[in-house]
Amino acid sequence: MAVASYEMLDASKDVTTTRTLLHESIPLTGTIISGTYGTFPDEGNIKNYTHGQFQSVYDYPYLSSSANHIFDLTIGYDEGSPLSASSATTASTSQQSKKINMYNQFSQVLLGYTGSNNVVRKFELDLTLDQTGSMSECVFINLSRLITKDQIKKGTFKIVIGTGSWATSHGLAANTVKTLSDASASDTGGTTNTIGGDYGVLYDSTGSVPRGVIFYQAGIAVLSTSSFGTSYSTTQFFSDSSGYKSIDRAFVSSSITGTCDSVRHRIQNITFNNTTEINSTIYFCRVPHNKYNYSSNPTYLSASTIRVKSVNTDTPVAYITTIGLYSSNSELLAVAKLSEPLRKDPTNELTLRVRLDY
Amino acid sequence: MSFLDNSGDIILDAVLTETGRRRMAQGNFKIVKFALGDDEIDYSLYKKNHSSGSAYYDLEILQTPVFEAFTQINAGINYGLLATAATDLLYMPVLKINEKTAYGDNVRKRNGLYYVTDTSGDTSAKNIKSKLNDASISYLEGSTTGNSYIMVEGGLDTGFGTTPVGSSENRESNIVANNLNDTSFTVFVDNRIISEVRGASPTSYVNNTSGDGGTDLNYSIDLVAGTPTSLNIGVENYTGYKINAIPNQISYNTQATDQDFSVIGGPRSAMTGISLVVKSGLSAEYSLYGTVSDTTRVSGVTVDFIDTMVYVAGDNSGATIEVPTTVIKLS
Repeated sequence: MAVASYEMLDASKDVTTTRTLLHESIPLTGTIISGTYGTFPDEGNIKNYTHGQFQSVYDYPYLSSSANHIFDLTIGYDEGSPLSASSATTASTSQQSKKINMYNQFSQVLLGYTGSNNVVRKFELDLTLDQTGSMSECVFINLSRLITKDQIKKGTFKIVIGTGSWATSHGLAANTVKTLSDASASDTGGTTNTIGGDYGVLYDSTGSVPRGVIFYQAGIAVLSTSSFGTSYSTTQFFSDSSGYKSIDRAFVSSSITGTCDSVRHRIQNITFNNTTEINSTIYFCRVPHNKYNYSSNPTYLSASTIRVKSVNTDTPVAYITTIGLYSSNSELLAVAKLSEPLRKDPTNELTLRVRLDY
Repeated sequence: MSFLDNSGDIILDAVLTETGRRRMAQGNFKIVKFALGDDEIDYSLYKKNHSSGSAYYDLEILQTPVFEAFTQINAGINYGLLATAATDLLYMPVLKINEKTAYGDNVRKRNGLYYVTDTSGDTSAKNIKSKLNDASISYLEGSTTGNSYIMVEGGLDTGFGTTPVGSSENRESNIVANNLNDTSFTVFVDNRIISEVRGASPTSYVNNTSGDGGTDLNYSIDLVAGTPTSLNIGVENYTGYKINAIPNQISYNTQATDQDFSVIGGPRSAMTGISLVVKSGLSAEYSLYGTVSDTTRVSGVTVDFIDTMVYVAGDNSGATIEVPTTVIKLS
């Protein structure tokens, strides 16, 4: 039925807006990334594509409707990289142009172009974008918007990778497991703004050696191949039918998918806090003492007599469970429910604070 | 639709309705007013004579679990709290349907339904109205030229012979003075079936001041088209029509003739006649929303019909009534 009584909202006094940042902690364990849903490298939660340009990781076998996309993984190198040059002479190449294209695509979207010839910038291990300290060979981890939401919270990203031999990538030997984090970044500093948004540098646990960068709004981590660089992984980064491969060799002669498998094999976990920006409008619904003390609820009357009164001098009372918010032509635009009935009588005045989040 | 957790602090669970989301997409989302509802509350649980004292009067009501908010517009507020400022009200108006035979053109229900005819199935040999007449079923003509109506009366139905009696003085003091007198009604109908609602004209009148004793029925009810309104009942495909309310001037007298002319057993507020115009060209709707080739509703006659609810609300009093109707035609 149409409502008989409305109370007008005064836009200058009864309506206000707020902005709130909500953070969630996101832990991605290595067991999901590798080994839980099948036998490596053919787990059911890993989706490979016929184009072979990247690999998708889900939190459950991806053929299930319950599966959520967590991140994509790919690799690439700059056309000026030694791997690009050496590949022709020292190893058989695989998807070389795709790997270069992939690097360029990330670079042009996240960093843009430079110089009069509009050359794509190279990723750098610092915040200056001066073309020094560049990363020419990279692993790209594109985190899904489902988990990063509006952006990754600065200073919270951490990735733990195994840098041991292929067989014992996360072994107990000293420095086998490496933690990269953006601990030096915060909302007030430690980042640089580019066309792809803010990015911070990922340092290893010493806090002084940069190993990659993290783009907060884009949700993309870019890791240098040096991240995996220990004596073991230099020679045993990857293993396939042709034997052990160093990381450089894998980048050159293995497919993108194959190299992504080896990266997955070495990710122990990824953790970060995401950020959701919530813009809210708060409506202060002020219920005066002398109104809304009666109801048109059919049970309110018995033979036209108000049930909550015995004589007319008794205090009228009604119970609020719902607040409807209406447009000027009485369309119900939003509805709010109280968790329990709220008594309203002439002795009390209420202000009900209804928050709508966008 | 689950219940809200009521084990801790009072919380508010707010959602945009379907209309709200649509308005937002269209860029004209603007909230300007609010209303309060209590649909979950059963006031019969208010024990005003509880032996343990007043703290126990509303104990059960306060323990009523509340459903979480959901997005259908009819899920919001179906009735609502009233802004009436008076604190000394003991009575509030209700709406009832008057089927008294003293009125020539008011229709009576059959098996709980008010019949509305659709003549689209008529032939030169037979027509639905004569079939209903044969079965002694009264009906609305379903057209703009019909004279019959469903008579809706408002007032304090406290019971004949009890106080307050339905005198004109009590009408003034209990209803008019408290701003509970309806000057219009809103009638909500399914716009897939009904194309217009007609109501009593402003010059219509009803009283019992005629005859030698000044206690006989004196009335004239003409029907005029109602005005479509943007008021929303919150039911899909329903449109509201505003129709006039005329003063219900049947009043108590020593001969108690008010009982012959009114179904309200106390001071009366307003009344009207409601007539429905069936949408022209209804055909497939009967099989979609109703029943076709039925021989039981009107014994021995094969008919198609659609049952549809009509909602009537007093615009001032907030009193409501649901009128079950059936639109019927020959198959």
